[in-house]
Amino acid sequence: MYDILQALINGTFGWGWPDWLIYLISSLVVVTIILVVAPLQMLFFTYYERRVIARMQDRIGPNRVGPEGIWQPIADGVKMFTKEDIVPEAADRIVHFLAPCVVVAPTILMFAVVPWGPGMTPVDLPTSLLFFFAVSSISAVGLMMAGWASNNKFSLLGAMRAVAQMVSYEIPAVLSLIAIVMIVGSLSINSIIEYQAGLLISNRDLPGIPDLGLGWFVFTPVGFVAFIAFFIAALAEGERTPFDIPEADSEIVAGYMTEYSGMKFGLFYLAQYVLNFLLCAITAILFFGGWQGPGVNWLYAQAITPTNPDGNGLFNVLAGALGVFYFLLKTYIFFFVMVWLRGAFPRLRIDQLMDFGWKFLIPLTLANLFSAAVWVAFTRWGAAEGMLITVGWSPVLRWLAAFIITLAINIGVYLWLTQVYAASQAERRRVELEELSATL
Amino acid sequence: MEVVVQITFGVIAVFILVAAAMVVSVRNVIHAALWLIACFFGVGALYMLLEAEFLAVVQVLIYVGAVSVLILFAIMLTRQITGEGVRQLTNRWPVVLAIATLLFATVLAPTLINQQWNVPPAPPLGTPEPIAGPAELGRGFVNEFLIQFQVVGVLLTVALIGAIVIAYEERARRRKVLTLAEELELKRLREQTSPTVPAPVEAEPVVQESRSASER
Repeated sequence: MYDILQALINGTFGWGWPDWLIYLISSLVVVTIILVVAPLQMLFFTYYERRVIARMQDRIGPNRVGPEGIWQPIADGVKMFTKEDIVPEAADRIVHFLAPCVVVAPTILMFAVVPWGPGMTPVDLPTSLLFFFAVSSISAVGLMMAGWASNNKFSLLGAMRAVAQMVSYEIPAVLSLIAIVMIVGSLSINSIIEYQAGLLISNRDLPGIPDLGLGWFVFTPVGFVAFIAFFIAALAEGERTPFDIPEADSEIVAGYMTEYSGMKFGLFYLAQYVLNFLLCAITAILFFGGWQGPGVNWLYAQAITPTNPDGNGLFNVLAGALGVFYFLLKTYIFFFVMVWLRGAFPRLRIDQLMDFGWKFLIPLTLANLFSAAVWVAFTRWGAAEGMLITVGWSPVLRWLAAFIITLAINIGVYLWLTQVYAASQAERRRVELEELSATL
Repeated sequence: MEVVVQITFGVIAVFILVAAAMVVSVRNVIHAALWLIACFFGVGALYMLLEAEFLAVVQVLIYVGAVSVLILFAIMLTRQITGEGVRQLTNRWPVVLAIATLLFATVLAPTLINQQWNVPPAPPLGTPEPIAGPAELGRGFVNEFLIQFQVVGVLLTVALIGAIVIAYEERARRRKVLTLAEELELKRLREQTSPTVPAPVEAEPVVQESRSASER
């Protein structure tokens, strides 16, 4: 954005404005775009989810407001705005007021590092992936505040459940990401996307692969296991249905949101859907190449970039449009999967949730971390690092060896873990049964 | 630019100090914890000002995201102190303040007096970055500071095992609240004259629920 404004104001118009002013304007423009796009995505997602879940339950869903009910979310928004804001008498007013802000602010902040297309990252931090997850963990504090300040048993229970769930599923999520970070060797989301160029195989692992933007991590054994583990953890973090224990309406009303009304409730709702969008987006970015897709890199190579200053501006627009299209397509497909899971699965119990997270996902992701190390050792290390076996191998042979070994490790660990997990669960059930019959 | 940085530093520093003062003076324990979180944020902002963005992000991730949540959890689970009844400041707080200031001064005064304050000039452009990035930190952990790193790892593992040992509850000592369905099941089992090993697990959905009841 800075480059574009710089070229436009000082180049085309020749006004000669100082750098800091252009910097300020470009930052303001970027912030405005983010603040507009985030609620729009949320509005679309509520409509999308309601229509999809209606179709799955053999209903039609919202269809009265506008063509096919497309203005329904806006009508809902107006309804939220005009509702009375009720604060319980026994509530802690300041904390009750602050909690929705603390929940919403981090989800919007997370947008700052999400790349939408080639060269379309709002803020390109070198540690953007870490920033994303660090900021996402702040909203746990907001949930705690909401649950406590409402002075309601259901709210407090819901907040406790939400935070326990978020804290325990953050670990497998981050562990599965570390595998990807190890392979890429960088914490920058942009370099993770750039790594995924190629055709089924990343052209960083195997130079000479035609670049169709399809060298996604999900096609490698390490990336596949990481993807499954991360997506499950993302479901838990976004409080999607198999893991929607914090707001289980049949048990604890609406969890931490129980005592909120009007636009404060709307803010929680906004935060939740924006978080879901971001989790789908980050899944698409990390394992499915983000904006990578056939044609984007070719278009971007002709465009105006820092490395290629005399390109054609038209290609910037084309590459951006195609990149955003691929990115949103992948994101919406993942959100469809989330809705699909909501339509297909009942809610888990809290002990099932904890068991699955701590006893299955974490060991699986730890084993996957080991596989990632093997992958790096086989594809990249030479004699200097002490990897003497692969000296003199061709890149194809190295890649094949890495693929087969990591596949064997991951499948073996998966089969072993499923057996151990099933055996431990069966044993637990047997003990429960014995106890019950012992009370006779 | 220098002035802007100094003003920003001043604002952040005042914010941290105010938040820290509120932590120890506010009456409600939960409010104190929330002020502590604000204080952590301020420290993260200071790191950001020093261009150690990795440390800033980690500060937010660990202190705001994990430690403070644990503190809040601990406060909410210990019932006696959640209310506003407990005063944090005793009547003799000026004495404590004086002692703390004296102790702090004995540490800091020699440094302040003997320090020459010759701040090194800014390095010329193009000098390599000091240790701030994750790659350098990681390399430091597995080369120079390997033993310290391992010791910290062992320490944390010990803490983890200790937490499990403290929180572990004997199965037999758990309070059991039976649901209606379970009582029916028990009744049915009692009516059977021979208390043999019950049927396979899948055939007994009621039994599964007893676990959820016993774990809450």
